[in-house]
Amino acid sequence: MAAAPEPGEPAKGKTFKLLGILDVENIPCARDSVLYGSLGSAVAGLGHFLLTSRIRRSCDVGVGGFILVTLGCWFHCRYNYAKLRIQERMAREGIKNKILYESTHLDPQRKPANGNGGSGVTSSTENPATTH
Amino acid sequence: MAYPFQLGFQDATSPIMEELLHFHDHTLMIVFLISSLVLYIISLMLTTKLTHTSTMDAQEVETIWTILPAIILILIALPSLRILYMMDEINSPSLTVKTMGHQWYWSYEYTDSEDLSFDSYMIPTQELKPGELRLLEVDNRVVLPMEVTIRVLISSEDVLHSWAVPSLGLKTDAIPGRLNQTTLMGTRPGLYYGQCSEICGSNHSFMPIVLELVPLAYFEKWSASML
Repeated sequence: MAAAPEPGEPAKGKTFKLLGILDVENIPCARDSVLYGSLGSAVAGLGHFLLTSRIRRSCDVGVGGFILVTLGCWFHCRYNYAKLRIQERMAREGIKNKILYESTHLDPQRKPANGNGGSGVTSSTENPATTH
Repeated sequence: MAYPFQLGFQDATSPIMEELLHFHDHTLMIVFLISSLVLYIISLMLTTKLTHTSTMDAQEVETIWTILPAIILILIALPSLRILYMMDEINSPSLTVKTMGHQWYWSYEYTDSEDLSFDSYMIPTQELKPGELRLLEVDNRVVLPMEVTIRVLISSEDVLHSWAVPSLGLKTDAIPGRLNQTTLMGTRPGLYYGQCSEICGSNHSFMPIVLELVPLAYFEKWSASML
């Protein structure tokens, strides 16, 4: 059962949240996306101002840049993160199956026995980890 | 279980809950960006002298603010539907457990091979041992094997209840006269707490659910000891 937090431990409910909703500490890719978005916003807004000297329009460009860059980084990072999770899951399953079924007929590395009525013992080959 | 003042989800213990957490992160980022945009526009409105009282049409901006929300909704709907259909998959369960809701306790039946059934009452606060959780502990936990697909059939003997375990992403109504089915697959051992999630009378808040996910060997020993 869960133990009560020790007196010295920080309370778990005190994570920093942007606008009170976005937990940038614990959501994967959130911190990077917001930081890149802020950088993109600053570059776009400042660049526009330097080119045109229009303050309000530069602020609009900055906000637009923030949204676009954050979204772009977010989707890119989440896509890669999802691919990584799938690979991790496949690797975990592969390790589990290897441990469970080693030397049995269910061994994933086992080659099918030749049809000469042999003992059926095959040599195991290195499993090429084909990740793309 | 939840910790005090918790606002977010509990850590995921099933693949479905992991998917739900990721979907929530995705949607929350979109909500955060829209909220930032709206806050910015509100702040602009407070400081502008621009007024235009004779606007007849605004085709361009109307096109943008029709198509953009549609795209955003599609970006939210596609992952949502994917998870919705994923939740309805039945992946050849190895074990079936029946859960019956009563006023105000749950009863469980493991009838695959032997006739094992028991009731699960909340432990009253006065009888808790030190370290136990108030309003969450029960006298008989639901012991289940981990990393095994389990079918849970849920119904009720009297009024509406709802069998919910947040960390596994489960919530299914217990309806008298109807049998609802859900699939459970825990990925880690441990104790997972839930509470009745449909108002069912005065003690609705006092009929918790505790799942104890253990390795298969321990589950077999437990079920043998319960017979």
